[in-house]
Amino acid sequence: MTVITVAGKGGSGKTLVSAFLIHFISEKNSRVLAVDADPDSNLPDALGVSDEVFRTLGDVRELFQVSRDDMGTLNKEQWIEGKIYGEAICECENYDLLVMGRPEGEGCYCYANSLLRGVLRKLLRHYDYIIVDSEAGLEHFSRKTIDTADYVIIVTDTSKKALSTAKRIKELLAELKMNPTLFLIANKVFSEEGEMKIREFAKNEGIKILSVLPYDEEIVKLDLEGYPVTSLANSSPVFKKMREVAGFFLSIKATTT
Amino acid sequence: MVERKRIEIPEGLKVKESVGEEAEYPFDISPMYEGERIRKGDMHVELGGPTQTGFELVIALPEDQVQDMKASLVGPDLDEMEEGKTYPYAMIYYIAGKQVEVDLEPVIERRNHDFQNYIEGYMHLNQRYDIWIRIGKGAMKKGLKSLIQIAKATMMLFKNELPFIEKIEAVYVTDKDLVEKLLNDLAMPIYEERDKRVEMLHDEDVDEFYSCTLCQSFAPTNVCIVSPDRPSLCGAITWFDGRAAARVDPEGPNRAVPKGECLDPISGEYSGVNEFAKQESGGEYDRIKLHSFFECPHTSCGCFEVIGFYMPEVDGIGWVHRGYTGTAPNGLTFSTMAGQTGGGKQVVGFLGIGIAYFRSEKFIQADGGWYRVVWMPKELKERVLNYIPEDVRDKIATEEEAQTLEELKEFLKEVNHPVVTGVVRPVDGKQITEGWKEEVEEMVEEEAPAEAPAEAQPVAQPAPMQMPQMPLQLPMLQLQQPTQTGAAPAGIKLVIKDAKIVIDKVIIRKAEKKGGK
Repeated sequence: MTVITVAGKGGSGKTLVSAFLIHFISEKNSRVLAVDADPDSNLPDALGVSDEVFRTLGDVRELFQVSRDDMGTLNKEQWIEGKIYGEAICECENYDLLVMGRPEGEGCYCYANSLLRGVLRKLLRHYDYIIVDSEAGLEHFSRKTIDTADYVIIVTDTSKKALSTAKRIKELLAELKMNPTLFLIANKVFSEEGEMKIREFAKNEGIKILSVLPYDEEIVKLDLEGYPVTSLANSSPVFKKMREVAGFFLSIKATTT
Repeated sequence: MVERKRIEIPEGLKVKESVGEEAEYPFDISPMYEGERIRKGDMHVELGGPTQTGFELVIALPEDQVQDMKASLVGPDLDEMEEGKTYPYAMIYYIAGKQVEVDLEPVIERRNHDFQNYIEGYMHLNQRYDIWIRIGKGAMKKGLKSLIQIAKATMMLFKNELPFIEKIEAVYVTDKDLVEKLLNDLAMPIYEERDKRVEMLHDEDVDEFYSCTLCQSFAPTNVCIVSPDRPSLCGAITWFDGRAAARVDPEGPNRAVPKGECLDPISGEYSGVNEFAKQESGGEYDRIKLHSFFECPHTSCGCFEVIGFYMPEVDGIGWVHRGYTGTAPNGLTFSTMAGQTGGGKQVVGFLGIGIAYFRSEKFIQADGGWYRVVWMPKELKERVLNYIPEDVRDKIATEEEAQTLEELKEFLKEVNHPVVTGVVRPVDGKQITEGWKEEVEEMVEEEAPAEAPAEAQPVAQPAPMQMPQMPLQLPMLQLQQPTQTGAAPAGIKLVIKDAKIVIDKVIIRKAEKKGGK
C-alpha cells in the first residue's frame, strides 16, 4: 500500500495532478483507490466520472446518525462497512473512487468516526496505490481517517500565496508527526522568472521538485467546457510530464516490492 | 418461540453433500484478507446483494440433530454459474454443544462475516437478509470449485475460534425458490423474534453493563454507563454494541462494568456502577442512578442528543434536542443549557440523554417517567411519539402550544397534565409530586398584570444551575412583590423554596416578562 497525497492551495492544480496520477497509474496497476478528500474539489469531474458517484463517505456517516436507533442488534461496524463497500466506493473502469464529501454536522460523531476509521484501515491495505486529493488543511489526516501518507506532493503555482500554503503544509505535516517523502510540482509556470522563484523556494525548504508543468491554454479550455482533464491531447507537454511523474511512482513500487 | 428444526429440502432439487474436514483448501485463510474488496470486473459471481435474495442464519439444535462437519448445497454450484451473474444465496448453520443456547445464535451468526472474510478471494458484506457476497475470478483460477469448500472452511473457523461449538453443519442454498421460501418462512420469524427479545431485555436480565469513554478527551470525568435500558448519551451505542466491542477489545473504550448489587431498582442504582464511577471519575462523584433525573443523575458529556431541564414553575421536565434552534419555555436554548451541563458533571436539574432513551421502559422512571414530561419540540415529539404512553401523549406541549412559561402553565392546566394534580409514578404507584397549590395559581394571576413593555424579549438569565433536590414541596413564597408600575426597575424576583427547616436554595432571577415577539 503506497499512499500518495496531493495537496496545495485551492486553484493551484492539485486536482489536475491527482487526476493524471490516477489515470496513468491505474492503466498499469489494477489496485488503485482514488480519494477525493477536498470538500471543495471536483476530482470526479476532472476524471470524468461524476455521474457514477452515488454516495460520499459523509453521506454514509449522516445516514448512520439517523438510522442507528433502529438497528437493534445489528452490528454497526458491519452496517457501515456494507454502506461504504456497496454504495460509497464508486467502481470506475480502472480504479475505485471514494469521495469523502461533506464535513460533519452537529452532534457527536465520536462513535461513527471510530467505526469509519476501523473499516477504512482494513479496506485501504488491499490497494497498491491510494491517491488522495487533499485540501491544504489535511483534515482527514489529522482526524486519522487515513492514517499514513508515504508521499506528499505539494502543488504550487508561481503566486506568493500558493508558496506560503506550500510552506504551511510542510509545517502541518511536522505537527501531525507525519514523515512522508515530500515533493513539489510547479504548475502553470509561464515565465522563467516564475520557475526561478519556485526553484529557490524548493531549495530553501529542502523539497525536491518532481516536475515543472507549463501553463496550458488547453487545460483552461477543458475546464471551461467541463471535459475531464485526462482527455487532454497526448501531445500536450503537461500530459507527457504527468505520465513521467506517474512512471516515477510506478517504478518506485516495482523496485521496492 | 419459533421452533428450531432442520430445513426440509423439497424433492427433485439437486443436492451436493460432503462430510468431514477438507484435506486442503485451494485458497489462503487468514485475517489479512479482511477488508479485501472484489471489484465488479474481477468477480466470478455475486451472491445475494441488492438485486438477489440472500440471508444467513444460525440455528441452535439438540446434539443428535446435527451431523458434524457436514456441508450440503442445494442448487447450482460455482462451476455451474455463469460468470458475472448474481445468484440467490442462503447460508444456514446448525450448531450444537452443551453451552450452545438459542440466545447465542445472533452472537455466533455475526461471526460468519469475520470468518468468511478470512477466505482469500471471497468478499462478505452486511448481515442477516442483506448479505452480499462476491467471489473473485482469481479464486476460481486457483482452484476453487464449490461452495462446499467455502462452507467447510467457514465451519472449521467457527470450531477453532469458538470452541464451545461442539458440532456444526452447514446447508447452503442457491435455488431461488427455496431461498425465498426459507427466508420468509424460517429466517424472518427468527430475526423478528430476536428483535423482540432485545426490546424485552432489561437491566435486571444481565450481569454486566458497559462503559464508554470514547469522549473522555472532551469530558475527562465523564463515564457513560450503557445498560439494556439506557443507551449512551450520544445515541450511538447500545448495550449490544458495548458487549460486542468489549469482547473484541476488553481494555478499549467500552469495558464491562459488573453490575454488583442492585441498591435501588426504581432509580437504577447499582453498587458496581457506583464503584466504577468513583474510580473512573477520579473520585469526582461516587453515585450514579441510571433512571433518575433529580438524584445523582448520570453525568453529561457534551455529546448528548437531547437535554432535559426542570422547570420549577410547573414542576415538570422539558426536553430539547440539538437540532432545535429556538428557546425552550425556560427561555434558554439547547446550546446554552448544553454549555452548562456538559463536561462530565452531575448537574441536578439538567440531564443529557440519547434519543433512544425515550424508548426505554425505564425512562426517568424514578421521577415519574413520561408523566413528568411537560414540553418538547414538535420535531422531537413526533420522532418518539409511539413511545409516549397514550394517556399523556396529548398533554405534552410543543412550541406550537407553548413558548413561554405562562403559556405552558395555561396549557398544562387546560389539559389537566399530571403535574397539575400530582404525579403518580407508574413503576410503583407512589405519588411523587403534590401538584400545583392554589396559592401558586393565584400568585400567577396576580403577577400577570405586571407586564413589561411590549418590545421586551422573554428573557431568563442562565440562572444558577442548582435546583432543589426535592422540588416544590412547599408552595413558592414570594418575598418581594415586583413593582406594579410598568418598567420594573431591577426586575428581580426572589423566590425561597423548600423552607421547612432551613433554606435550601435562593434563586434570584429577572422577573418573567411577557408580550415580546
